[in-house]
Amino acid sequence: MNELKIEDLTCYRGENLVLKDLNTKLKSGETLVIRGSNGSGKTTFLRVLSNFIKSYKGKILFNDQNVLEDSYYRYSFNFIGQKNSLKDNLSVKNNLRLWEIIYQKKISYSKILEEFNITHLIERDVTSLSDGQKKCISLLRLNFTESKIWYLDEPFVYLDEENSQKLIQKIKNFNNNNGIVIITSNINLQNTFTNEIKI
Amino acid sequence: MFALLKRDLYLALFSSSSFFYTSSFFVLVLIILPFLFGTNDVQLQVLFKGIIWIGLSLSILLTMDRIFNADYEDGNLDIIFQQNPSLETIIISKYITHWIVYCLPLFIVLPILSFLFYVSLDNFFLIFLNLFFGSLGMVFIVTFVSALTLGAKRTIFLKAIIVIPLFVPFLIFGTNLESWPILLALSMMSFVLSMYVSAYGLRLYVE
Repeated sequence: MNELKIEDLTCYRGENLVLKDLNTKLKSGETLVIRGSNGSGKTTFLRVLSNFIKSYKGKILFNDQNVLEDSYYRYSFNFIGQKNSLKDNLSVKNNLRLWEIIYQKKISYSKILEEFNITHLIERDVTSLSDGQKKCISLLRLNFTESKIWYLDEPFVYLDEENSQKLIQKIKNFNNNNGIVIITSNINLQNTFTNEIKI
Repeated sequence: MFALLKRDLYLALFSSSSFFYTSSFFVLVLIILPFLFGTNDVQLQVLFKGIIWIGLSLSILLTMDRIFNADYEDGNLDIIFQQNPSLETIIISKYITHWIVYCLPLFIVLPILSFLFYVSLDNFFLIFLNLFFGSLGMVFIVTFVSALTLGAKRTIFLKAIIVIPLFVPFLIFGTNLESWPILLALSMMSFVLSMYVSAYGLRLYVE
């Protein structure tokens, strides 16, 4: 059983107060949706949780251990940002190979591409893909780690209805396997995930 | 570190033009010389010693955006940071990759070019040593400038304005065939400076 606890989290970006006294607690199998207007600090919140931004007040505890002091914490989460992390001049296959090397995990390409029904794109250059297809490929990075937490920054942007449903199902499956998920989103997901905070 | 090194080398291999472009750019810069100054042996030998440094400087300068900026713009830098907790290992890996991808091809074509420019064997070895130590220092310099200007778009001229004055000591000593120990010392100083400044630049990005 894992637990992620956020206590009195306050974060400034330059002179601006972006996050103020955030408190929340998540246990294995739970998903939290962060909602807010543009520039409200949703991405900053995820970057703080992912230990990219380390100058903040308050505490983030994973299994009662401060994440700033836990050197193994980085193996516990997978952060999927708004950028697709794809090399435009390479094929999908070569991009997957690069991820395989950096994540040091062998994976069956056809199996993961099947998740979004995009097996036929494997030899295509990334430049020739639509934004939605790029987003689907970007989300395949979730398969490259054995993490306990997923931080997903606007994962539904560019996805069509069918792929959005597949992603929701993937998140629910991860929850069922005791995973914790935090999603930032501009769209209303309250019918799907009940746990929501506004910042 | 080795995963990042391997990934960067594979990236260069997949976009195989990297190796080809650098060496062909270097060769083309040198090939222009006889058209401008004629084919006098002695004159070409003198010009060769200087122009190879201009070729090397331009090759390193024009590719500096690929050190950190390309990964920053497509979001891969976040993955690199997550997978490599130490900024120093990221920086060292980038030094090695950048040297292998953008400097090594020049050393491969150097013997042929030296032969074409009537350079004697003794002089070739001294030129080779100078270029080797000089290229290391120049890679250290572009790496820290690249890290400091991370996220700044279309700033190749700004970067050139910062980098070229820092290249000047290498160019001054590089044209003197006996000065490889000075170039080695310059490269070692650049390494120390580069490690601190690059780490600072990357930390600014992460924060």
